[in-house]
Amino acid sequence: MTLLAVQGLTKRFGGLTAVDNVSFEVFEGTIKALIGPNGAGKSTVFNLLTGFERPDTGAVRFEDRDVTATRPRNLVGQGMARTFQNTQLFDEMTARENVMVGAQARQRTSFLVASLHLPPARSEQREAAEAASHLLRLVGIERWADTEAADLPAGIRRLLEIARALATGPKLALLDEPAAGLNATETRALAQTLYRIRDMGTTVLIVEHDMGLVMEVSDEILVLDRGCKIAEGPPRLIQKDPAVIAAYLGGEEVAADV
Amino acid sequence: MSSRALRWAVPAVVALLVAVLPLVIADRFLIKVFTFVGLNVIVAVGLGLLFGYAGQVSLGHAAFVGMGAYTSAYLTARLDWPWIVAFALSGAVAGLGGLVLAIPSLRLRGHYLAMATLGFGELMSLVFTEADPITGGVDGFTGIPFPSIMGFELRQPAGLYWLVWGVAAIAILVAANMVNFGPGRAMRSVHGSELGAVASGVDVTGVKVRVFVISATFAGLSGALYASVVGFISPSVFTLQSSVAYLAMAVIGGTASLAGPAVAATLLTLLEYTDALVPGLSRSAAQTIQEYQPDLYGLAIILVVLFAPGGLAALWRRRARGGESG
Repeated sequence: MTLLAVQGLTKRFGGLTAVDNVSFEVFEGTIKALIGPNGAGKSTVFNLLTGFERPDTGAVRFEDRDVTATRPRNLVGQGMARTFQNTQLFDEMTARENVMVGAQARQRTSFLVASLHLPPARSEQREAAEAASHLLRLVGIERWADTEAADLPAGIRRLLEIARALATGPKLALLDEPAAGLNATETRALAQTLYRIRDMGTTVLIVEHDMGLVMEVSDEILVLDRGCKIAEGPPRLIQKDPAVIAAYLGGEEVAADV
Repeated sequence: MSSRALRWAVPAVVALLVAVLPLVIADRFLIKVFTFVGLNVIVAVGLGLLFGYAGQVSLGHAAFVGMGAYTSAYLTARLDWPWIVAFALSGAVAGLGGLVLAIPSLRLRGHYLAMATLGFGELMSLVFTEADPITGGVDGFTGIPFPSIMGFELRQPAGLYWLVWGVAAIAILVAANMVNFGPGRAMRSVHGSELGAVASGVDVTGVKVRVFVISATFAGLSGALYASVVGFISPSVFTLQSSVAYLAMAVIGGTASLAGPAVAATLLTLLEYTDALVPGLSRSAAQTIQEYQPDLYGLAIILVVLFAPGGLAALWRRRARGGESG
């Protein structure tokens, strides 16, 4: 079933067309990768899908509802969560607290209920803490739970942001360069984490430069170059696609790791 | 003692000491000084939520204190309303002011927000001076009755002290509950990264508006108490200088802490009354301290920002962590 359907998405910044008439679909229960050389418009597509930028033209449908230019917070409520290329963590909060903020998206504790120390506040507090422990384990960083985000290594910060996004209970998780800053071992572990996320019912769309990871985990790959879609399909076909090879300077990068 | 037990024991002991203070101290003036400490603690805790938790700066908090003070003064002295009703409405009026000031905070950050709040403070200062029929203008507002609760008038320093600290205790408790649950994390997330907060489903606008309103309400309630404790208010009390003093309490107190601003409020308020507190201190020395008080606040802010970002709270958090590992 189609979870996300993008039709003719276009975004211009001044004279530059960052995203040019891009259409694609993401199927439920799959991992899809969005790749392309620097400046291809990948992050802009992410921003357009998640409401952080408004498209000039085009439409985004999520679960068959039109969500074009919906506000980011409302999209989180509808089941779309994201991470950022430059991690946007809450530095002075512990890893656990960071994830608990995400979990609160599904809760209702108001300032009033909290200020009176009422039972709903206490039970939701417990639920958020339990969800945080579970997700920190899922991404494999539970031993950092009580460390402030500012003190975490770069790779752990990426995983923490993924855990925080998952805590909002998304149907679709959009992960912007999850492997950036990870070493080879951590990247292999990330692949397993991505499978686990998919297996628990969350569809994944990633922007990623690590071709080894992309080729391994993706069910489908979408290739952008200078704002335009140049190819789409399963990893095996994308690796052999002449347009993709041309876009990637002769294509060694794509063909190297299989 | 375990850190968990300490978390309860320390506030309990402090609360007990604060409660019995008027029984131990005979000097009526000293009791009054510690009443002023309580008034400033209420404002500082409210500003602590705004600044230390939500990361929003305000250089206009004296305006909220003034709004509360004038509202309470007018309703009790001119309209003869029951004190408790006037007290509650003072908080509401100041809260409404907070709502107004929240609007620029949705678009402005850092220095620009500071400028907007400073402008609001100056504007209100002008209103206090010019709205003669209500505020009494530059001459001030005299003859504000003592607080009375259910027909019982509090006019003794000790009674007023307990009233103020009772309100302070409730304010601290309410604030502590907020920061320990979801709303507190939401506030800190707005401080940490607005982008990250939005992406995590935090209602950033809602959080900012609420914190501004709560913080302003605390200030307004403190102002209402001030008016009835002192019996006289004038525009010269609610100036930029006071706003800077409040901000100094919040900055020195530190981020993500209520105890920090409360302690800082206590220290900075006592600084004003060194002559009463330090027996041997010469009159001229005390005067010098009072004269340079705004400069001392400014200097303290600069020192904290440069050498101890995160304020007192960060200092003792670091100490606590160092103690555990070492």
